[in-house]
Amino acid sequence: MSAAPPNPAAPTPAILAAEGLTVRFGGLEAIGGLDFAVARGAIHGLIGPNGAGKTTVLNALTGFVRPAAGRLSFDGAEIGGLGVAAIARRGLARTFQNIRLFGAMTVLESVLVGGHRGFGASPLALVLHTAGARAAERAAIARAGELLDFVGLGREVAGRVATTLSYGHQRRVEIARALMSEPKLLLLDEPLAGMNAVEKAEIADLVRAVRARGVSVLLIEHDMQIVRALCDRLTVLEYGKRLADGDPEAVLADPAVQAAYLGRAR
Amino acid sequence: MDYFGQLLANGLVLGAVYALAAVAFTLVYGVVRLVNFAFGELFMVGAFLTTSLMLPEVRLVGHVVPMPGFSFPVAALVAVLLTAALGVAVDRIAYRPLRRAPRLAPLITSIAVSVVLQSLAQTVWGAEELRFPEFELATYPPVVLFDSIYLSVMDLVVMASALCAMTGLTLFVARSSLGRAMRASAEDQTAALLVGVPVDRVVAAAFAIGSGFAALAGVLYAQTYGFAHSSMGFLPGLKALTAAVLGGIGSIPGAALGGVVLGLVEALGAGYLPNGTAWKDAISFVLLVLLLYVRPQGLLGRPELNAAGRGSLLGGAAEMGGWLRGVFAGLDRLLAGSSARGGAVALGAVALAAAAGLLVPSDYWLRILTTVLIYGMLASGLNVIVGFAGLLDLGFVAFWAVGSYLTSILFVLVLKDGFGVALQETWWLFYLNLPLGGLLAAALAVLLGTPTLRLRGDYLAIMTLGFGEIVRIVAINWVGLTNGPMGIRGIPAPVLFGVPLGTPRAQFFLALTLAAAVVFIVARLVRSYVGRAWVAIREDEEAAEAMGVPTARYKLYAYAMSGFVGGFVGVFYAHYQQYISPLNFSLFENIILLMLIVLGGLGTFIGPFVGAVIWIVFLQVAIDIPFVQAYPETRFALLGVILIALMLFRPQGLAASARVPLVMAGAGPGKAGRAEGAVAGRAGT
Repeated sequence: MSAAPPNPAAPTPAILAAEGLTVRFGGLEAIGGLDFAVARGAIHGLIGPNGAGKTTVLNALTGFVRPAAGRLSFDGAEIGGLGVAAIARRGLARTFQNIRLFGAMTVLESVLVGGHRGFGASPLALVLHTAGARAAERAAIARAGELLDFVGLGREVAGRVATTLSYGHQRRVEIARALMSEPKLLLLDEPLAGMNAVEKAEIADLVRAVRARGVSVLLIEHDMQIVRALCDRLTVLEYGKRLADGDPEAVLADPAVQAAYLGRAR
Repeated sequence: MDYFGQLLANGLVLGAVYALAAVAFTLVYGVVRLVNFAFGELFMVGAFLTTSLMLPEVRLVGHVVPMPGFSFPVAALVAVLLTAALGVAVDRIAYRPLRRAPRLAPLITSIAVSVVLQSLAQTVWGAEELRFPEFELATYPPVVLFDSIYLSVMDLVVMASALCAMTGLTLFVARSSLGRAMRASAEDQTAALLVGVPVDRVVAAAFAIGSGFAALAGVLYAQTYGFAHSSMGFLPGLKALTAAVLGGIGSIPGAALGGVVLGLVEALGAGYLPNGTAWKDAISFVLLVLLLYVRPQGLLGRPELNAAGRGSLLGGAAEMGGWLRGVFAGLDRLLAGSSARGGAVALGAVALAAAAGLLVPSDYWLRILTTVLIYGMLASGLNVIVGFAGLLDLGFVAFWAVGSYLTSILFVLVLKDGFGVALQETWWLFYLNLPLGGLLAAALAVLLGTPTLRLRGDYLAIMTLGFGEIVRIVAINWVGLTNGPMGIRGIPAPVLFGVPLGTPRAQFFLALTLAAAVVFIVARLVRSYVGRAWVAIREDEEAAEAMGVPTARYKLYAYAMSGFVGGFVGVFYAHYQQYISPLNFSLFENIILLMLIVLGGLGTFIGPFVGAVIWIVFLQVAIDIPFVQAYPETRFALLGVILIALMLFRPQGLAASARVPLVMAGAGPGKAGRAEGAVAGRAGT
C-alpha cells in the first residue's frame, strides 16, 4: 500500500478524487480513464444514461470492484486496492441501488451494524458486561435513535424487522445505517428510484440535511429536476467515459449531454 | 517397477470410479449450484439394486423376495436407470421447491436426504453386507501387462465403462440441444428461462444423468470389492466430491481429471508411505485442504463458481395448511413473548431443568437428560457458526474430539499410565481442562480457518468436512497418541474438593451448570456488536463488508467460538462417558447435531436444546415400538424426513420466533425491545 501521508497543513479541497480510473470486465472496458473529484462539503451528482457505468464507478470507489488502472484518493490518502471494509472504515459509506438491508434484523440492529467500527470491547468485556462495554452500547443505541429521528423515521420503528417496512422507509433505514458509521462521504446509488414526488422531495431535503451535518455526498440519480435542484456539481458519464463535468446548469444545457440522454440524430 | 505398475493400475481403477461419481457432483453443481451430498447414497442404491437384481432371491425388510437373477450388464443397466429416476424424484420433492431459497437450505436438505436414503437402505437390505454374486465375466483369467501387472477383466470393464460414459457425456453436453440448454442454464438460469429453455427439465436431466453416473460408479465399486452395504456410499461419496473440487467443480473434464488424480494419489500413497493403507483416506483430504488453500477453484474450474449466494435462511418457505399452521402460530406467539424477556425465560428454563433433575427418580432418565444437555450444548456451539454466521460446518465434531482427547490423554495416558499419579489428587485439572480444551479447539479453528474463511459458500463446508475426517483418521491411526480404535478407558468422573460427582444426578447438575455457562457466554457475545456482525454476514456478506465489518475476521471469530464450545463440552463429555473412542466423533454425529439445530431453530438460543430434547427423548421412547426395535435406523430416516419437511415449510425451525435480540440486554430502549419480539414473531410466519 503506497498510502500518501495526509497533509494536515494543506487539506486537499477534494474529499475524493479519481484519476484515470479504469475498470475492465474481461475484455470489456466498463470505465475508461475517468477523472473526477468530489469537493469537500459538496453534493456531487454522477449522472448518465443507463449502462453508462455509474454503479461500476461506485463499486470501484468502495472496493467492490478492483480498478484495472488509475488512482483513487479519499481524504488525502490512496484507497485504490484496499478492501471493501477497509475503505468503509476510512469514512466512505454507501447505500445500494436495490436496497440491501439485513433480513431478520430489526431497524435498530441494522443501524447499529453501520456503527461497527465504533465498537471495540474485547470478548471478555462483552461476556462480563463491563461498564465500558455497556456504555459503548448505550451510546451507540442513543445515536442510532437520533439518526432514526434525523432520517424521519422516528424511534418507534426501532423494534420493527427492517425488511417489513415500506420501500421508502427501508431507504431511510439504509441511509441511517450508512450515516451511523460517521462517514466523511456518503455515496447514494439512486436513492429516489421508485418514489413518488412527495417522497422524492423529502429525500432531497434529507440529502441536504446530511450535507449540513458536514458529510459530503456523491449521488447517482436519474431525476434531472432533483439533480438540478440538489447538486453543486455534476459529472456526466457515457459509455464509461466522462462526457461533461461542472456546474449543473451548464452541464445540463450542454448539447452533448442532452444528446446522450435523448439520443443522437445521426 | 512392477510394484509401481500394479499400484498405477489399481489407482486407475479407483480413479475411474471416483471420476464417475465426481461427474454427478459436478454436473448438478454446474447447473443448480448445489452440492448434493446425497450422491454418495445414490451410489450405494445403485450397488444394492444391481446386486439384488443379479441374485435369485434377496431378504428385503426381513422377507425373502424372489429376484430375476439378471446377468451383470442387464442388472447394472436397470439399476442405473432406476437410480436415475430416484435422483429425479429426490430433486422434484426435496430440492426444486428450494431453488430460489438461500443456499444453506438446499445444502442442509441434501444432507437430510442422505440420512433418509442411508437409513432406509439399512431398513430394506439390513445392516449386514450383501455379497456381490459371482458372474461369468469376473471369472476370466486376468490380463497380464509387462509380465507383472495383473488387471482383471472387470478392471478393464470398469475403466472402459468410465471412459465411454465420460466421452458420451462430453459429447452430449457439447452437441445435443439438451446439453446446450444445460450449459445455458449453468451460465444464468433466469436468462435461460427467458429465452425459452425449460430450466426445470434441464435440471431434472442433470439429476438423472448425475444419479445414473453415481449409480454406475456404485455398481463398479461394489463388484470390485465384492459387496454392497448401506454405508458404503459415504466415503466414496466424499472422495468423489473431493475429486470434483480438485478438478474444479462444474467442469466435467475437471471431474475426470480430479478422479484419476485422487485414485492415483491414494493408490501410490497407500503403497509407498509407511503404514500407507491406514492413512490413505487422510491423504485425499489433506490434498483437498491444501488445494483449497492454494487454488480454491480447482485444477480446471472457474473462480466465479466459488461465489456465495446471499440471503438469509428465513423466507422462501412453502405455505403449509390446516391445523399444523395453527399449531405453529400458537408456538410462535408463545415463543415471541419469550424472546423479549430473555433473562427471565433463561432462569425459568434452568429452574425447570433443575426441578426435573431433582424429581426424576430413575438414573436411566437422568442419564438421558444429561445426554440432552450435552447434545444441546454441542448444538449451541455449532449454532454459532451455522445459525448466527450462516456458514455450514461439517467438521464441528473434530473440536469436540479435540477437547475429549486432550483431557483423556492428560488424565489417563500421561498422569496415570505415564507418571502413576492417583487421579483423585489431580481432580482440579478437570476444571482447568474445560477452558483449556476450549482454547485448544479454538486455536485449531483459527489455524484452519485463517486461510479458508476467505473462501465463500459451499467450499467452506467441504473444507470443514475434510478437516473433520482428518481428525477422525488421526484419532484412529495415531495409536501412540490416542490408543487408536481401542479408545481410552478409565477416564475419571469429575470430583469437586473431594466430593465425587460420579452419580447420575451429580453429573446432570454439573452438565446443567456447564450448559448454563455455555448459553450465557454465547448469548453475551451474540447480543453485542459481535453477534450483529455475524448475523449481518449471514444475511448479506457484501453489505456487511460495506458497513465496515471485516467479514473474514468475524467469520473466524464465529468459527473459533464454535470451536471453543466444542472443545469445552468435549472435556466434560470424556469425563462423563469415562471412555472415548474415534467412533464417538463421526461425521454422522455432526450431521445429527446440525439437524438438531435446524429442528429447533437456527440462530436461536433455545433451538439447540429444543431440538436435543425432542430427538433424544424420541430416540428412547421410540425404541419400545416393536418395529423400531427391529429396525432402529428408521428413527434416523424419520428425523431426515422431518428435516426435509421443515426446510420446505419452515426453514427457521420449531422455535423460529424465539428470535434473539442482537442488542445488549439492559442497554436497549425498553419499549422497543419488547415490541421487537412481537414483530419478529409476526415476521417469522
